[in-house]
Amino acid sequence: MKPLTLDDLAALAARPNPVTTDFVRVQLDTGGIAAGAEETFAAFRAAVAAAALSTPVLRVGSHGRSWADPVVEVSAAGLPPVLYGGVKADVAPQIVAAHLQSGRLIDDHVIAPASGAAELAASVTHLLVLDTGVGEAKTKFFQFSFVEELKRRGLADQVQVARALDLGVYDEGVVVTLLPAGVTYTNVLAPDVARIVEQSIQGRQVLDDLLWKRTDPQVRIVLRNCGSIDPESLPDYLERAHGYQGLRAALARTPEQVIEELKVSGLRGRGGAGFPTWLKWSNTRIQKAEPRCVICNGDEGDPGAFMDRSVLESDPHSVLEGLMIAGYAIGAAHGYFYIRAEYPKAVERVERALSQAREAGLLGRNILGTGFSFDAKIRLGAGAFVCGEETALIASIEGKRGSPSPRPPYPSVRGLWGRPTAINNVETLANVPAILLRGGAWYAGFGTETTKGTKVFAVTGKVKNAQLVEVPMGTTLRAIVFDVCGGVLEDKDIKAVQTGGPSGGVIPDKHLDTPVAYETLQQLGSIMGSGGMIVMDTTDSMVDVAKFFLKFCVDESCGKCAPCRIGGFQMLQILDRISRGRGAAEDIAALRRICQAMQKASLCGLGQTAPNPVLSTLRYFDEEYKAYIEGGPSYARKMARAASGAEPVRALATATTEGA
Amino acid sequence: MLEEVERKHGYIPQQVGDEVSRLLELKLERIKRAQAKLETGIRRDVQRHVARWSGEEGNLIMILHAIQNQYGYVPREVAMELSRELGVRLARIYEVITFYHYFKLQPPGKHNVTVCNGTACYLKGAAGLLAELRTQLGVGEGQTTPDREFHVDVVRCIGCCGMSPAVVCDGKTHGRVKPADIAGFLAAARATSPEAKP
Repeated sequence: MKPLTLDDLAALAARPNPVTTDFVRVQLDTGGIAAGAEETFAAFRAAVAAAALSTPVLRVGSHGRSWADPVVEVSAAGLPPVLYGGVKADVAPQIVAAHLQSGRLIDDHVIAPASGAAELAASVTHLLVLDTGVGEAKTKFFQFSFVEELKRRGLADQVQVARALDLGVYDEGVVVTLLPAGVTYTNVLAPDVARIVEQSIQGRQVLDDLLWKRTDPQVRIVLRNCGSIDPESLPDYLERAHGYQGLRAALARTPEQVIEELKVSGLRGRGGAGFPTWLKWSNTRIQKAEPRCVICNGDEGDPGAFMDRSVLESDPHSVLEGLMIAGYAIGAAHGYFYIRAEYPKAVERVERALSQAREAGLLGRNILGTGFSFDAKIRLGAGAFVCGEETALIASIEGKRGSPSPRPPYPSVRGLWGRPTAINNVETLANVPAILLRGGAWYAGFGTETTKGTKVFAVTGKVKNAQLVEVPMGTTLRAIVFDVCGGVLEDKDIKAVQTGGPSGGVIPDKHLDTPVAYETLQQLGSIMGSGGMIVMDTTDSMVDVAKFFLKFCVDESCGKCAPCRIGGFQMLQILDRISRGRGAAEDIAALRRICQAMQKASLCGLGQTAPNPVLSTLRYFDEEYKAYIEGGPSYARKMARAASGAEPVRALATATTEGA
Repeated sequence: MLEEVERKHGYIPQQVGDEVSRLLELKLERIKRAQAKLETGIRRDVQRHVARWSGEEGNLIMILHAIQNQYGYVPREVAMELSRELGVRLARIYEVITFYHYFKLQPPGKHNVTVCNGTACYLKGAAGLLAELRTQLGVGEGQTTPDREFHVDVVRCIGCCGMSPAVVCDGKTHGRVKPADIAGFLAAARATSPEAKP
């Protein structure tokens, strides 16, 4: 590829994005590949070639719906793009034969999130049915009823009825979506079948009493290109995703103006602490020492979080663009990607993005003829959670043990090799190009008073649809878990949501209506963290969960300072004792005392936040600890299960009689 | 062998003694040559890795990554050679190796089974999978079977939380694993010879 110029980028910006209609996009990221997406990809290529079709089979990153992997998006036969989930290699030929060749959808694989459409402009061609209620699924019965009704009216060959996999609506009875308009009806009962066919399909009228008016609360800014562009292709990013237009916008301004734009946007660090990004940049910029450095922190160590992996794998160029803008704003000529070695696919794709950008003249000396020089390298992590901490990360890049050092001096004053350094999280950097392109004010339009923009969460654990979610700040936890991710697995009752990984805390059911923001989560004794969100149902023991996270922090403690090294170990011993039913009443007080000491006296964030899981479970679930101490583990488990029932007192009585 | 000769002849003839010592010397020679070859092999590898990363500050961790990718662990001889090549004290290299979980000092087994123990996998039953592995193989976390066939390990999180619980068997990730599936993986791994390391 020949080096780009500013004029080339300007020409690309002026040109409207090409509209692509015919394609098969296979989502190839680590999660998808684990589920067999590579075999699916090959099967699609073979099936398309065998059918002598010209439809391109493309590789894209993940859209985020990891519960349905492998996911494939198909656009063909004049239909709007359709997502298929659970597409193993054997399903590929079926999709090619049905969808590509005859415009029919296949059963049990379609994912069609409710769009909130309220108009039937074109005539209905497909009807998707899914029973989202509890109990015996009536999807097949309704499919049959619709087919019969359509036959009766002689429409059977014009409208196809297919069973869906997911319609973006949960716990609302039988849900029906009419394609291509995307009108969704919920709580459909048997008598409604004839009405829908007569009025909506024949008469193109929308039935207001059944209509689902709510729209998806998600806003995709960080994940804007994930799942729609080829992560291994620079031309794809340039032509179809306004690639490097944010950089062009930044280079047209002074660094101070870029920082000002970030200030307007209100973007705060997405790594967890929420330090304003503009302030970090301007603190680094005002340092006299040269050269300065900028680091992209992709050491996603929280177990249960995979946002950064997904973004790096699905849209590496946008993170690189963000890093370059950061470099321009603070006056740095060197950038580093610090990525976990456990993410080989992400490393491979970032490596490729770097070499492509170098080839296109987007990295190197005098970029785009503007006099700005910048280059970036990759450094691998090696499995140390503490390296997500700024000073430890710097030590690790320098090739040393990743032990944190006391701050101040902050990295913005003395960082990598003593140079002023700005460290930003992957998600923060992925936001930056969009902010530069569309303006800080646009970005500030999302979110709450103190916390602007959107946040990506990886919702996992006992949840129906474990997936990535990007919502505006201020969305409630309940909306994220129930409206977007479909609620708790096996329709059990939710007990708590854990945010912030091993440094965070649990948020019990009664506080789930809290809007998500840095401050509100802190008030509840948890933290935003990097965005891992783990759903726990009533069968999960909170003492066990606290022990799990504490064990993680004890393993990961670097051992440099005593409160963290000794305190963590002692707490783990006490918790272990309690969970084996050998606890004493004064253990809880001892736990609280050690927690306080660790919070106050530890050197770095790891030690200061390690007690959070223990403290927050003590705060909301201290009866569970007491049950363990008084009656032992099996009694505690019974209590925990019964506590979600209507009458805790009676449940206790039965539990004790059963125990006796 | 000499005992056999003694039994046959009643004594050890001079010629036999000479022949045996000649053979032994030959064998020693061969071992020495193989060792030298191995050492030059190590030296060449280390020099190659160091050359790849020379001129970059803080390259130790990246070189260790390259070494581990090649050997599957960091052998002591290689670490010693690296210390000579970089002019860094061996203690400093070991300080780094032992700090990071990713670097291993023991050779891996022929087949590697890694159980993810991230929070999502933990909640969905990673402990059950580990117990099943222990039943099947008789080894637990971080251990290798006595015949060096299987090495069982636990990782923090492989980022496949949507597919939890996950198990990585010889580089291939399996999602939504049930304890009943474990026997199948092990049989499949036994049936295939491990891929040669590139």
